[in-house]
Amino acid sequence: MTMDRRSVLGLGGAIAAGVALAPGLHLIAAPAAPATPTDDATEAPPVPRWALLIDTTRCTTDCTACTSACRTENNVQLFGDPERDIHWIRKVELRDMNLRHPPVSLPVLCNHCEHPPCVHVCPTAASFIRKDGVVLVDKHRCIGCRYCMIACPYKARSLVFHKTKPPKDNNPAVPIRAAGVVEKCTFCVHRVDNGEQPACVAACAKADKNAMLFGDINDPKSEISQRLLKEKTQTIRPDLGLKPHVHYKGI
Amino acid sequence: MLNDYSAIEGRSPGFIKLLFGLGFLVLLGAGAFVYVEHYGHAVTGMNNQIVWGLPHIFAISLLVMASGALNMGSMSTVFAVNQFEQFGRFSAFLAIALLIGGLTVLMLDLGRPDNMLLPMVYMNFTSMFTWNVFLYTGFMTLCLLYLWTMFEYKQYKKLVGTAAFGWRLVLTTGTGSIFGVIQGREVFGSAITAPTFVAVSLTSGTALGILLLVHTFRQTNREMDERLIFGMRNALMFFLMLVAYLLIVEKFTRLYDPASQAVQMWILTGSWAWLYWIGVWGMGVIIPLALLFNHTLGNRVSGVLLASGCVVIGAFCFVAHTLLAGQSYPFDMFPGFKVESSFQDGVVGSYTPTLPELFLGLGGVGISGLIYLLGIRFFRMLPKKGVVPPGWDLPWSP
Repeated sequence: MTMDRRSVLGLGGAIAAGVALAPGLHLIAAPAAPATPTDDATEAPPVPRWALLIDTTRCTTDCTACTSACRTENNVQLFGDPERDIHWIRKVELRDMNLRHPPVSLPVLCNHCEHPPCVHVCPTAASFIRKDGVVLVDKHRCIGCRYCMIACPYKARSLVFHKTKPPKDNNPAVPIRAAGVVEKCTFCVHRVDNGEQPACVAACAKADKNAMLFGDINDPKSEISQRLLKEKTQTIRPDLGLKPHVHYKGI
Repeated sequence: MLNDYSAIEGRSPGFIKLLFGLGFLVLLGAGAFVYVEHYGHAVTGMNNQIVWGLPHIFAISLLVMASGALNMGSMSTVFAVNQFEQFGRFSAFLAIALLIGGLTVLMLDLGRPDNMLLPMVYMNFTSMFTWNVFLYTGFMTLCLLYLWTMFEYKQYKKLVGTAAFGWRLVLTTGTGSIFGVIQGREVFGSAITAPTFVAVSLTSGTALGILLLVHTFRQTNREMDERLIFGMRNALMFFLMLVAYLLIVEKFTRLYDPASQAVQMWILTGSWAWLYWIGVWGMGVIIPLALLFNHTLGNRVSGVLLASGCVVIGAFCFVAHTLLAGQSYPFDMFPGFKVESSFQDGVVGSYTPTLPELFLGLGGVGISGLIYLLGIRFFRMLPKKGVVPPGWDLPWSP
């Protein structure tokens, strides 16, 4: 069979049209099964909104309990390549350029924003926000486009530049991520979902600093809600309107 | 009409050499892709501050030029500049070739290229990337249909050509908006970024079109009325002034705002200032305008070719500067504080591209070049002779 050139061009156009339109089409799906009725179905329990308060007046330059605990808990490896090492949480030193305030040391991590720009820009919705406000990355859906790293104003995300393998003290609760995907702080969801505190917060308390307080700000009686109400705190870059949920005291 | 166009013979040693040369670039790109895929992105110069490097610069430059390559077709079909009608097929086909090359590089530089089809399956419509999936595929579809109407169904040419013109404006707006919508980085986040990308696509697409047309005509011993080239020169001059205008307005507006003076002064004097002044302004605007306005050089085809070469390099520098300066400037998380950390907070990001990145980018150029070369070899894309319509003459010359 031979095809003349016009047909080839026409066929090419038709194929390209198919490629353009196919993603927008969905097969007709079966109707969703009705939710199983339960006798005592009333209202869903209130969804928590997790947040973190960091008291920088209690945080010291020499302490890295939070960052070390995070690495161990989440199998976050160091590759000896400072520009490409992965940081879920890092210690930042601040010096007032006018020397009016003493230097401040504080941890910076994913701010689990209410309007996360990383989630907005992710083309595959691999970055997503849970109902309790925790922002996560689905490592199986991430294509490694790094647009989220461009969009995040907190530099909270790292690409896995190097090939990874489970570390010696591997924590099986947190699977390691393969090279080529983007990863970040999860607020230790695997612990939080079991009623525990994130590893950094637990380590901070264990080091007797008690600079980090984790809790549910949807519960007005929680300690974090009470302290956010009474104490003067601030978030990083509130001007961007992202409503971050990591609050700082003493900056 | 059938006899007005012809495919090139493709038997000359020059054609074979070019074919192998471009094929070699594609092989280099393929090798680089396998290498990066095997060892991870650690073998590139990219890092956690500069996450988009040379491959993105090549890819986005090709995509910007792709939409600009449609200029000659649009000028005749939409704006009735009839002397360019004969280059309509060339124009639409070049757009497709450049688009495929650019998209290939973009796909192969993903951290997980094995997942490259996921954006087609899981769509997030708040992402500019998702919009771009539709914009790119739609543009390619329209260009193919446009080409088809030019070959066979001329009665629909105006309709499809106009749709393609509208689409290319939206397409490049989408490309520019990848950066324009980002508020988290100090250098990005400007409503004027997208229009500037459109203007740069107009200059670079026209310039690349001039370069390829003149060289293809010369290599295949086809005649071309030089007034056609000078007509394109006039369009190019207008587009160049548009770019200059948008660049100035952007800087003026930003410098007026005290909050962004520090970052703007860094752009004008900091580590990427050389790329801004020599690349974006020098190669991209001032040198070509000076050449084209010159009475002697501007009225010679060689002068127009030289200026066009500068414009293409300038467009590449514009994309490079947008990406690299945009990512290098440190995040200003704590205004008024000097910031230090083990994660390079408060430090201007460093980026030195590596060979695999260069090869991957050149692979994209090779793909576009091969498609163009094979296209003009097997299809009647080019007129046998470049002639001006009766009664038409150049309205203006420097």
